[in-house]
Amino acid sequence: MLNRFFLSASVTACLVSSALAQQAPAAPPSWKQGMASEQAQSALHPFLPHITGRAAADLPVDKLKVPAGFKVEVWAEGAPEARSLALGDKGTVFASNRNLSNVYAIVENAGKREVKVLLKGLKAPNGLVFDKGTLYVAERNRITRFDDIESKLDNPGEGKVVIDNLDPNNAAGHFWKYLVMGPDGKLYFNIGSPQNITMPTYNEASIIRVDPKTGIMENFAQGVRNSVGMAFHPVSKDLWFTEHGRDWLGTDLPSDELNVAKKKGQNFGFPFCHQGDTLDPVYGQNRTCDEFTPPVLKLGAHIAPVGMKFYTGQMFPAEYKNSMIIAQHGSWNRDPKQGYNLIRVSLDAKGNATKHAFVDGFLENEKGDPPMWGRPVDVLQMKDGSILFSDDYNGIIYRVSYTKPSK
Amino acid sequence: MKTLCSWHASRAKRWSMTAAYRTAAVLALMIHFIPASHAGLEEGRVKSQVCATCHGVDGNSVSSNIPSLAAQPKQFIVTALYMYREGKRKNEVMSVFAEKLSNSDLNDLAQYFSTQKLNPPQNLPESNVLAKGREITEKNNCVACHTANLVGQQHIPRLAGQHQPYLLEQLKLFKAAQRGDFDGTMTSAAQGLMSDELEILSLYLSSLNK
Repeated sequence: MLNRFFLSASVTACLVSSALAQQAPAAPPSWKQGMASEQAQSALHPFLPHITGRAAADLPVDKLKVPAGFKVEVWAEGAPEARSLALGDKGTVFASNRNLSNVYAIVENAGKREVKVLLKGLKAPNGLVFDKGTLYVAERNRITRFDDIESKLDNPGEGKVVIDNLDPNNAAGHFWKYLVMGPDGKLYFNIGSPQNITMPTYNEASIIRVDPKTGIMENFAQGVRNSVGMAFHPVSKDLWFTEHGRDWLGTDLPSDELNVAKKKGQNFGFPFCHQGDTLDPVYGQNRTCDEFTPPVLKLGAHIAPVGMKFYTGQMFPAEYKNSMIIAQHGSWNRDPKQGYNLIRVSLDAKGNATKHAFVDGFLENEKGDPPMWGRPVDVLQMKDGSILFSDDYNGIIYRVSYTKPSK
Repeated sequence: MKTLCSWHASRAKRWSMTAAYRTAAVLALMIHFIPASHAGLEEGRVKSQVCATCHGVDGNSVSSNIPSLAAQPKQFIVTALYMYREGKRKNEVMSVFAEKLSNSDLNDLAQYFSTQKLNPPQNLPESNVLAKGREITEKNNCVACHTANLVGQQHIPRLAGQHQPYLLEQLKLFKAAQRGDFDGTMTSAAQGLMSDELEILSLYLSSLNK
């Protein structure tokens, strides 16, 4: 006992004396960059999905609200951390992971819907595209292709590399990628800002495109802090994308954005200008917002818009045609919380965008911790015109359908 | 002083690894005989008997290098076991056990341990260590995620009243980027701290008994 007392006392003494002597400053962690001194005691924190998923039967799914005539229901469960969605020609629904390492294939088997682990052991395989029989998977460091995938659901083999070395630093930050196929046959994806608010290097905070035939990569758009939702307009073929604004500028600043890139080479402002009209307190010095392309729509501070699709189906009412369905993952860096829903954004003839409610009910208590019971991530249009959306917090995929009112 | 500090730590490590290896082989076999069941406290209690040898009855570990699981947030326990099972966090003993666990095992075990009462170690460091430790937790946003009382929440572990050598070992692993860490949050946090600050932090956290 005496011996133990002596040890702990001496350990304590040596620790305190040397720690007080060493005052070398260390770089703040990526998530702390840009935090003001008055926010030092903030209790805001990010959320992590329930890593094994949760059963729909244990959740208040009946609280979900949709416009009149629409119906929302659980389509599949048991797909832990389901993120991006893609639809195969033969009806397979693919779903990805970000923290976890899998890609799921969801198939109908003898009238029953089955979630199979298609690929595993991948590095943050968030991005998925299905195009002409091929599944493309964007991991944090590379994009691979799995040709004729729907014939190989039980034995997909190793993917062929489209492009590699996309994440040479392998560090914390916005490393996960969203992936879309452009009308030009090129794959578009994000390389996010490595931190909350720091000066990005030349390929960071960008939207990149790569030609899968040649592997040639181009920087398509810059000044994009992190976009994890993109879609091409079905008529104009412009690239529309959601973007997450920086943290720690307060509850109402800056707004997350809905942007459109009409040509290659546009700069959307990060880290100099936020939401098209607000200079960054540090990086905005000696700059103006006029230098950059402003957003089409401010979606709300920290609301975290993620996956989006233009609706081109026949099932929903006419006003839904060519409007965007956007999933909002929900805020953590504000109090009270907002988002955790899906919205519809319509465009008029002049290109003005208007927000409409679409799916709500995941946000239970805006002052709660956690404030929500589910978090929408990505949207997928099915052949019948219904849409699916994923909820990574619970590993559930929901279906939204519409029935015309009888006259 | 330095020699004494490192000797203190290595002695504790040697002891716990020997104990763990001695029981690992037997217990790894036992887990096969746990009946499959639905999520629940009683199922968790039955399944937890395998864990008790190292983590203590009711999740209060008596080995200072092995964490107490009592009163840890449920989502944290599920996440930790999941990470061991999937190879995202590695430990010679825990990786073997977790490999065999189903998702419902994870949830049952977490349900059980999260509802047990923690009996924190009765350490009382000197007041300057307590003050410095508290300062570190406030300056480095530990209190943002782990809560003001450091009791954890959701997927974020309870630190208050955990064994000091275990806490220190984890902090060192994070600092060296050797511990599984979704999004690198804890790695980047620990890399902002000096080695001696990690030790003070672990002493302070372990002394919290609420």
